[in-house]
Amino acid sequence: MSIKRIYCDISATTPLDPRIGELLTDLNEHIYGNPSSIHREGQAAKAVVEKSRRQIANAINAQPDEIIFTSSGSESNNMVLKGVLRSGDHFITSSYEHPAILKVLPFLEGQNIEITLVKPDKNGMVQPADIEANIQENTRLISIMWVNNELGTINPIFEIGSIAKEKNVLFHSDAVQAFGKIEINTEEIPVDYLSMSAHKLYGPKGIGALYKRGGTKLDPLIHGGGQESNLRASTENVGGIGGFGMAAELSTTNLEENTEHILRLETYFLNLLNEQNIPYSINGKKRIPGVFNITFHGVIGQDLVLQLDFLGIGISFGSACASGTVKASEMLVEMGLTKEDALSTVRISFGKIHQLDDVKKVAESIGEILKINVEEFANHAG
Amino acid sequence: MPDKVLVAMSGGVDSSVALLKIVEMGYDAIGVTMKLWEYHDVGGNLLDDSNCCSVGAINNAKLVCDRLNVPHYTLDFTDVFQKSVVDNFADEYLAGRTPNPCVRCNSLVKWDAFVQQADKLGAAYIATGHYAKVQHLKGSSVLKKGRDTLKDQAYVLWGIPAHTLSRTLFPLGDLTKEEVREIARKNKFETAEIPESMEICFVADNNYKRFLKEYIPEKMSEIGAGEIVDESGEVVGEHSGYTDYTIGQRKGLGLSTPEPRYVSNIDPSNNQIRIGKKESLTKDNCEVSGVNWLVDNMSFPCDIQAQIRYNSPVIDATITQKDHQFSVEFAQPQIAVTPGQSIVFYKNDIVLGGGIIEKNY
Repeated sequence: MSIKRIYCDISATTPLDPRIGELLTDLNEHIYGNPSSIHREGQAAKAVVEKSRRQIANAINAQPDEIIFTSSGSESNNMVLKGVLRSGDHFITSSYEHPAILKVLPFLEGQNIEITLVKPDKNGMVQPADIEANIQENTRLISIMWVNNELGTINPIFEIGSIAKEKNVLFHSDAVQAFGKIEINTEEIPVDYLSMSAHKLYGPKGIGALYKRGGTKLDPLIHGGGQESNLRASTENVGGIGGFGMAAELSTTNLEENTEHILRLETYFLNLLNEQNIPYSINGKKRIPGVFNITFHGVIGQDLVLQLDFLGIGISFGSACASGTVKASEMLVEMGLTKEDALSTVRISFGKIHQLDDVKKVAESIGEILKINVEEFANHAG
Repeated sequence: MPDKVLVAMSGGVDSSVALLKIVEMGYDAIGVTMKLWEYHDVGGNLLDDSNCCSVGAINNAKLVCDRLNVPHYTLDFTDVFQKSVVDNFADEYLAGRTPNPCVRCNSLVKWDAFVQQADKLGAAYIATGHYAKVQHLKGSSVLKKGRDTLKDQAYVLWGIPAHTLSRTLFPLGDLTKEEVREIARKNKFETAEIPESMEICFVADNNYKRFLKEYIPEKMSEIGAGEIVDESGEVVGEHSGYTDYTIGQRKGLGLSTPEPRYVSNIDPSNNQIRIGKKESLTKDNCEVSGVNWLVDNMSFPCDIQAQIRYNSPVIDATITQKDHQFSVEFAQPQIAVTPGQSIVFYKNDIVLGGGIIEKNY
């Protein structure tokens, strides 16, 4: 009765890698100690946490003591903004950041912090020159996401980081959509803080991390016990941390192989759309593999999402909000799309879990739905 | 393949049981919560589960759908709702009338936008948890009152486009509210004990004066205190602004008269409220605008039964048509025939149609 689901919303979250699933079961069953405890149970838990810290540090070419575990990418973002900026400071970020940055801004304004929002260009990228032009005497922090969540576009983080370094401004990047998908090397890229999350790379939900370059300052968000070098109190999420470490290791050691596989899926998908003469356009240039912000002319994006869901395929539309409703992305309109095109845009994200067959089913289902819609449209018009 | 049915899920007990019935009838059900309004825009109680469109209500709808293994979506209808319902609500008060937003919501949002959504998703029917019946006959469909006379909601459905009746299912038409709750309890629905929402959904605290002040602050600030006059035109008091009053209102006039006095007329252009004795409120006739017929072949004059307020008794009346203008003459004089309110026409339990009371005399 139930149809096989094809989940193509990798940018929203990923299913657990089965190997990580096994590890979690094992940790939940056997490792119950408090990492701060003196006894063997505590020691075993501490070992899980510290092993993971090294796995994550290795994945981004950082030092273990530069990794702080948090509950999520959102917490990491909040921690940097609220832990760095003080009254009278100036802060530069972009208008298409994740809500875990943008929704912090009214709070910061209430703390007498001056804010400048730079806009992405028509290719969905933040221009380093726009950042440079807005730096002023009191600019304390710049925060630009590594990869945009709606578009999958990769920002010129090296250039922006270099500008920040030269002007002696701290630089944070929300790397939640980048980590595990493209190479991140903190030795080469001048970045002071990075936000990361496990559930975007086939790890568990509810566990994130913050990279904080050695020597940079930060005030904690959660005060309490001395965990995470006094920067993040609360008993560690040992299972989650263990899972995150494995996710980081798996995704970076298999990065080339995964990228190759996903690029093959990508090419195949576009070929199938072209073969069916489906009119589409992809928004954003220089994207991470597998993520399509794609406009299908002549169909409402929300309807396409629902109809694909009926057929067992999960994709997304616009940006989700708490109530679960979605509206057309204002960001796309800012990038120059018409309101109609923005409404006709969906996000499809493929990952290592997909095979050519899955992609074929998705492309063919889109073709079927579009055909029906166009016919209906013609009937109404007639 | 069974027909697809789009079930409107408010997150309350009625729509939950409506969904269950649709599933039991063997249809391919799809639960949809229509997001109509953002409460934080103009206040109200954000946390009360009984508020349709609140996050709590949406989550309840999702839980019930999940229990029945039915897909659930929250779709955004805020633009059409604001334009068709909320703006009109404010305009009507500004015009000295008493609007009925639920009627407009049903006509213009639920049985227009929602049916269009059904078309787009290939759904043959829409279903709601209204207490009303629709009888599908060969070639035509008829709207009827629900079995639960206390809960009957046919009154608020007169405005739905006639052609959409054939696409409509009311699975609760033969049930009473108590039976519906019992079914919900038996099925352990999370929504079983959610209290009835009696107020207008976007005025969650039931304080329309506060709502108007927050929704149209500039216009409301222009309306100050005004005169209260009696039937002879003599000034007998002062009121706080004409939008604060409704025809038939007795309380809150701040008058001490030997006999009770009621608001009998609202004059927005002079910001004046007229009051009178109970007799002054009774009218024999009214003019009706925006008439919608749900049955074919009406001819006039026609003896019908009419209802001039939700849950008020049905009264005998005659409807006549002259130059596309409909007027109704009541068999007995009626109290508080209120401009802006709906008048609904019946033949026994069949809803013939309805309209908006324009003028009374």
